[in-house]
Amino acid sequence: MLYELKNLKKTYDQRTVLNLETLKLEKNKVLGLLGPNGAGKTTLLEIMAFLTRPDSGDIWFEKERVNFTNGKLIDLRRKVVLIQQQPILFTTTVFKNVEYPLKLRETPRAERMKVVKELLKIVGMEMFEQASAHNLSGGETHRVAIAQALACSPEVILMDEPTASVDVENQINIERIIKEINQKKGISVIFTTHNMIQASRLADETIFLFEGKIAQSVYENIFSGHIEVDSNGYKYCVLHSGLKLRVSSQKTGLIRISIDPKAMRLSQKKSAPFTNNTFKGTLIQLTDEQSWVRALVDVGIPLSVLIPKDVFKSLHLYLGEEVRLSCPKESIDIF
Amino acid sequence: MVNNNFMDFLIDSFLSALLLIWSMDPELLVIVQVSLKVSAISTIIASVAGIPAGFLIAFRSFRGKRLVITVLNTLLAMPTVVIGLFVYAFISRRGIFGAFDLLYTQKAIIIGQVILIIPIVTTFTITAINRIDDRYRKTALTLGANLFQTAVAIIREARFGIVASIIVAFGRVIAEVGISMMLGGNAKGFTRTITTAMALEYDKGEFVLSVALGIVLLMVSFGMNVFFNYFQGKARV
Repeated sequence: MLYELKNLKKTYDQRTVLNLETLKLEKNKVLGLLGPNGAGKTTLLEIMAFLTRPDSGDIWFEKERVNFTNGKLIDLRRKVVLIQQQPILFTTTVFKNVEYPLKLRETPRAERMKVVKELLKIVGMEMFEQASAHNLSGGETHRVAIAQALACSPEVILMDEPTASVDVENQINIERIIKEINQKKGISVIFTTHNMIQASRLADETIFLFEGKIAQSVYENIFSGHIEVDSNGYKYCVLHSGLKLRVSSQKTGLIRISIDPKAMRLSQKKSAPFTNNTFKGTLIQLTDEQSWVRALVDVGIPLSVLIPKDVFKSLHLYLGEEVRLSCPKESIDIF
Repeated sequence: MVNNNFMDFLIDSFLSALLLIWSMDPELLVIVQVSLKVSAISTIIASVAGIPAGFLIAFRSFRGKRLVITVLNTLLAMPTVVIGLFVYAFISRRGIFGAFDLLYTQKAIIIGQVILIIPIVTTFTITAINRIDDRYRKTALTLGANLFQTAVAIIREARFGIVASIIVAFGRVIAEVGISMMLGGNAKGFTRTITTAMALEYDKGEFVLSVALGIVLLMVSFGMNVFFNYFQGKARV
């Protein structure tokens, strides 16, 4: 077991960003941490990189309990390296940036030269060796940061949203590099993303994180709103966009909801009767997802719906068409 | 014409001053040497103390941090004569450090000047470090740097601002007159600096040496700025 986390808590300014009961992560795998913004992904990575101290809870790294107070974290940090969401390079050349971790480890000069050149080749940045690091684009910076991380010869590489801020070409490159370093070098890779497709494509295993907790499945279609009660005593959730959803909940005031994409029903314009929580919308995007089809329906807000492939075929839906979308009460989770 | 005479006098003084510099007048050389030596030592001591202090104040959170910064900012505006008086009280014959015979020595000037510029170096360093992105700290740590190496990496990123602080501090001490006069005593060949000599020559009505020293002072400033700009260009890499 690579990591074992228990009752981990981290609060910033009275806001609990992380509240994990237990989490076990295995070695030599590519693990995806999936969750929306603010789910606690970055904080979790920083704790696993031994850069941030949790307020409470325990961590075991390779079966050894991590002590955040005894000043021996450097030994652990030298086994784990974090690549930040927007990596920053030192104000010097690309070469010296990649050389830095080797210098810290007192690697002899000749060896350093060899390793840096090798690593820059792996990430496809060998022709930028003498370039000033601050003149690189976002994607190039990210690739140099990966080379820099590999120069640490780590056991684990943690990557925070490795492809969130780069273009498609760099995305493909980075995903290829992630696979390579895991398969060829046997390095465990843990990465965060809010992109489900990427997670399923890259990761051997995906962990869902929501509001600082492990979730059983991914929460999608997350929106903020507030609860209103009408004159008949029916409860509605009014989203900021103005969309009104009939709900049953004990909660009042400001809330967040998540609508399960597999529990919503999509139908043709004419066939569906208007009942509670049925909305008129436009089909704006269709994506193939193994045995499912993901449909993005604009009902004032974009809602993501998953439909089994065979059902989708029988619906005869076309892009740009007006459709009906119903969200049964049981499809709505309220937080 | 009075005006014309005055202009002639100014031009005369200026030309004689240039001649004095050109001929490497020994008296002038000694004065410049003393000034540069004293100012350089003061600046080095203030930097060695002020840069780490500024780094720690910027990086650590502790009780009274805002107070410390406010006090340092206040000290930036401390008049040199106040420092002169203050240090005098300690090192004069009757002062507690009177036995060390420091008064009217170069050491006395250095003590006063260090007090003058430590707040400059420290506050500039605090500002320079605060401007550095926190991602640098995390990057250095995760790449395996220990705390000292992390501090070096951050100071390196802030080097431009820190060098600026050193230059400003040097400029301040080489141009100040109050401390040098009160604690150095303007002893010829020993504690006579560019500024105290200028004040004296002016009192005597001898403008030539005064003007010459003024030119040297400006050249020193110019030289520092050229160096700084060169460094700034280098720092961009």
